[in-house]
Amino acid sequence: MATVVIMPRQGQSVESCVITAWNKKEGDTVAVGDVLFSYETDKSSFDEAATVEGTLLKCFAEDGDDVPCLEPVCVIGTPGEDISNIAPAAAEEAAPAAEEKKEEAPKVEAAPAAAEAPAATAASTDGFIRISPRARLLAERTDADLSKAVPTGPNGRIIERDVNALLDKGLTNLAAARAAEDAPKAEAAPAAAPAAEAPMFEDVKLPNIRKVIAKSMHASLSTMAQLTLNASFDATELLAYRATLKANAEKLGLSNITLNDMVLFAVAKTLKNHKDLNAHYLGDEGIMRYFNNVNLGIAVDTERGLLVPTLAKADTLSLNELSAQAKELISGAQKGTISPDKLKDGSFTVTNLGSLGVESFTPVINPPQTGILGVCTITRKVKEVGGKDVFYPAMGLSLTFDHRALDGAPAARFLKDLCANLENFNLLLAK
Amino acid sequence: MPKSQYVDPGKVFEPGFIKFNDIPVCQYNKTLEEEKALYTKEDMMRIYHDMRTIREFETMLNEVKTKSAYNGVEYNNPGPAHLSIGQEASAVGEAYCLDNNDLTFGSHRSHGEIIAKSLSSIHKLDDAELYDIMKEFLGGTVLSVVEKHMPETDVKVLAKNFLLYGALAEIFARTTGFNRGLGGSMHAFFIPFGLMPNNAIVGGSGPIALGAALYKRSNHKPGIVIANSGDGALGRGPVLESFNFSTMDQITKLWGMDGKYPDGGMPILFNVFNNSYAMGGQTRGETMGFDMAARLGAGFNPDMMHAERVNGYDPFAVIDAVTRKKELLLAGKGPALLDVVTYRVSGHSPSDSSTYRSNEEIEAWKEADAIAAYRTKMILGGVATEDEFNAIDEDIINRMTTVMRLAINDEISPRMDLTKDPEAISSIMFSNEKVHSMDPSREAEMLVPKEECPRVKEIQGKIRTATDANGKPVSKMKMYNIRDGLAEPIIDKFYDDPTLIAYGEDNRDWGGAFGVYKKMTEAIPYHRFFNSPISESAIVGSAVGYAMCGGRAIVELMYADFMGCAGDEIFNQMAKWQSMSAGILKMPIVLRVSVGSKYGAQHSQDWTALVAHIPGLKVVFPSTPADAKGLMTSALEGTDPVIFFESQRIYDKGEEFMKDGVPEGTYEIKIGDPDVKREGKDITILTIGAVLYRALDAAKTLEEKYGISAEVIDTRSIVPFDYTKVIESVKKTGRILIVGDAVERGSIMKDMAANISELAFDYLDAPAIALGSRNWITPAHELETAYFPYPDTIIDCIHEKILPIPGYVAKHNFTDVEKIERYKKGV
Repeated sequence: MATVVIMPRQGQSVESCVITAWNKKEGDTVAVGDVLFSYETDKSSFDEAATVEGTLLKCFAEDGDDVPCLEPVCVIGTPGEDISNIAPAAAEEAAPAAEEKKEEAPKVEAAPAAAEAPAATAASTDGFIRISPRARLLAERTDADLSKAVPTGPNGRIIERDVNALLDKGLTNLAAARAAEDAPKAEAAPAAAPAAEAPMFEDVKLPNIRKVIAKSMHASLSTMAQLTLNASFDATELLAYRATLKANAEKLGLSNITLNDMVLFAVAKTLKNHKDLNAHYLGDEGIMRYFNNVNLGIAVDTERGLLVPTLAKADTLSLNELSAQAKELISGAQKGTISPDKLKDGSFTVTNLGSLGVESFTPVINPPQTGILGVCTITRKVKEVGGKDVFYPAMGLSLTFDHRALDGAPAARFLKDLCANLENFNLLLAK
Repeated sequence: MPKSQYVDPGKVFEPGFIKFNDIPVCQYNKTLEEEKALYTKEDMMRIYHDMRTIREFETMLNEVKTKSAYNGVEYNNPGPAHLSIGQEASAVGEAYCLDNNDLTFGSHRSHGEIIAKSLSSIHKLDDAELYDIMKEFLGGTVLSVVEKHMPETDVKVLAKNFLLYGALAEIFARTTGFNRGLGGSMHAFFIPFGLMPNNAIVGGSGPIALGAALYKRSNHKPGIVIANSGDGALGRGPVLESFNFSTMDQITKLWGMDGKYPDGGMPILFNVFNNSYAMGGQTRGETMGFDMAARLGAGFNPDMMHAERVNGYDPFAVIDAVTRKKELLLAGKGPALLDVVTYRVSGHSPSDSSTYRSNEEIEAWKEADAIAAYRTKMILGGVATEDEFNAIDEDIINRMTTVMRLAINDEISPRMDLTKDPEAISSIMFSNEKVHSMDPSREAEMLVPKEECPRVKEIQGKIRTATDANGKPVSKMKMYNIRDGLAEPIIDKFYDDPTLIAYGEDNRDWGGAFGVYKKMTEAIPYHRFFNSPISESAIVGSAVGYAMCGGRAIVELMYADFMGCAGDEIFNQMAKWQSMSAGILKMPIVLRVSVGSKYGAQHSQDWTALVAHIPGLKVVFPSTPADAKGLMTSALEGTDPVIFFESQRIYDKGEEFMKDGVPEGTYEIKIGDPDVKREGKDITILTIGAVLYRALDAAKTLEEKYGISAEVIDTRSIVPFDYTKVIESVKKTGRILIVGDAVERGSIMKDMAANISELAFDYLDAPAIALGSRNWITPAHELETAYFPYPDTIIDCIHEKILPIPGYVAKHNFTDVEKIERYKKGV
């Protein structure tokens, strides 16, 4: 009966041993205690001695071979014995050791859809907003409206990704302030009860929109290089055309086109040739962003304060279309029903104080736009026509521009072109 | 376990008796007439002078401590003063026999030994040599004070002033002291006179002195080493370990390698100044059972350590005994043990009210005072007159008063100014030098040329990457692994630095318990590379002494858990001597410890935090073969003590990060420089040790399954540590988890988390979180996944503490409530 000599396991972590030397070769007679072969682990060397006597019938490994532990190394028996059934496992299966039972790569589960928005937002019951320093820094830099943040961090903490989510939705404080003041009536309940003794003054908490306007206007004046150019044009033709429109409005199905609409129309058309004023100056990023269309901001005086809805692609509209859309925007702003989406992305702004009798002023630019046009009242001026002094209606225009973005001459050229277009409004319509 | 020594079952059971020889007890009995033949009058007067100098020095300190004035000079010294009034004859008798090649180590009560040994050296050195020593020491700082304020033409008298002033200024913490005031009373020393560091830890000098003797023995240097201690130190394990270590058979039986190298025993004398008290505990009759300390020698070797008990109140008896012991040691018959009976008349310290002994006893010993008795004997024997002795006394008192005035003068002897130079101590915490060979003048003793070293040959045939050109894993047996990364620089250093020695348990034939030293035995002689007894204190402590003498050592403690057995040697000795010596001493020691797994509570602990907490130690923990090699090279080139952590989980790891494999030549990795092992952008995982590979697995899952990109940084070093790369990473990712296998509480992960929170606060999207093991014992291997951080623990922790993963369900509880509860329970 043949005896199989296996590679001993020298310790739990040993997987295989290297045979360093054979002391016996196939066919040698072996006595008990004879060293058959020497082998080593990565730590130590050992001698394997025979525990039975007989003849070394077969060696399965040679010097230097790396033999897995517990695998047959050689066979001792009587010459002629059938040992064909004995063979190391490695020889039977074609090198399975290398294959390693690789665990099925776990099916990558489709990452679960974004966590369902928890009902609660950031402000917890104690009024304390839990937010990571990194998220706070990002929010400060981007003006993100943290009150709308949906915290997904541990313990209801707002983390960076939650601020990024706000920004993706355009939820900034500015947008909120301009849009969200739609239930002011309740707050503005008039204090009907007469005070027993009239106090010297009354402290009224600033509404948020006031704070936002204050911040924005101050930032505008303190960061830009603003200056204003004043000019006027002869509004004779404009007024005449307006009179014609008014007379025929019903008949032609036109909306009530105002002088302001006509100015807006002229501005939109003129800006097409003055791209520096239909642009955003993004100094921090080192770029000027030129707009392909004119998105005209219209400054609207509302009960709550200044709002600037945007007339998108104003340059593509007919006078009638423009007038209708502007009315809708202005009315929305005044009622407070306007969508916040319509309060952003303006490329140039027009503000009109003419109806209040202002003859010239210095409008403040809405950053990062590069200019704003102030429309003033109509006064009577004199000009010499054919050697005679002639009175004519003159409408004032005050253009404030950002000298960082463009120089005085290009701004003046815009103003000149605008005046020309307004003086020849019929021609402009024909263009 | 040398194979050459056969443990024969046929012999070990043979009946018989262990025989002991007699241990001599106070056998010295020479008469003065006989002594006159051995000593000149000058010798005899010198003995008196030296004893009297010690007495005055100690009296002065006692007066200052108890009355805030000495000889009319007022001073308040808040520091310690452990005085040896009564023990002068023993100290002087010993020092009388020693020369500059002989080294002494002492205890907290060693002012007497400092003075005695220095005066002996001053007497024996020639003037030119003596002056050079003083001039070169600390750039002449100490000498310039005495030369200016105590002008003296006689170099030997100048040296006496130099000694008294340098020692006292040190005790009073002045920058003009022997160790710039950083050692103080209990640690003063002066190497140029063979006066090695004294130790405030009782018995602390035992293993350190052993290391100095090992230096002499392994580098064939002349002279002997004396470990002075009190009798109380005999209760300390490290001292008994040192007795055993110094007597081990191999030193005489194997280290000579059949005549190839010089033979002989350890040249060390353990000298016990036996004053009967260990602070207040009475060793004979109360706290020990040996009756007489000399009896201990009988237990350690057949030579009984040549133990002997002598009368320490008779300087001639001490000289006689030390002379004989020194001869034995120089003849290669060491070690030896002396039990020198003496008495401490002064208290343990000046605040000691001697509640543990009677006034009667103290008075009787004052009556028997060695100095007075010696003086009387000399006068009666006609050696010298009363006046001659009075003149010596007067000179000593005057000199002491002048020295004290100088040492307390804040302008002449200023203290370190940490307001003006706030980093003065920082600059001496590490030496930060690079010294390729500690003794370039000698060839290294090796048994075969490097190219024939079996391990070198084996490494040459290995594949230096973890995967082959086809991306298939290289067979474990053929792969260059972390063991090889450690071995390569060690072997190189053995060939390049003749002072390098390596030892620890089972280092030699076994090849180190984890195979790092495999196949090195054939190349390195015994006296440079040997198996030590299982004596962790002696292993580490002797390395400290070896380094103090100018050698370089790699010692190994097998499991990191055994550091507890060498606590004092690691925490108080190895860590502190560079700075306590004001940078005079260097400590080029690598202490290898291995973090286990699978072996339960006492064999699986990562104790990086314990050593990192102790100022003065460098701590590294590499996890890849290339890092192991680079950091071991740095550790061995340096002159600072490095605790070198290894992990038994990963000794087999091949190089997975460097595309071209572990570089073949020599290269260093700067200690303190972490390494980014995987780049990512959403979270940083900072790892300590073997957990690197589990963190990489976690990073893979995070990426593939959850779309989170993790950056993995391996700290590689713990002290020192450069946070720059980590902070840069956190600025990018905004999140960090620090992971290690140590228990979480008080871990390095916690320490790093606190530092990162401080340094990167504004960039963090969640607190820096430390993830360690549970605050438990390490359970059995089968339960370890619940204990150590594994990939799922890492992802759970990230999900619960840092960045919740939509839809993910954690298995581990990392909630705040649970945390508070666990800490409340202390688990």
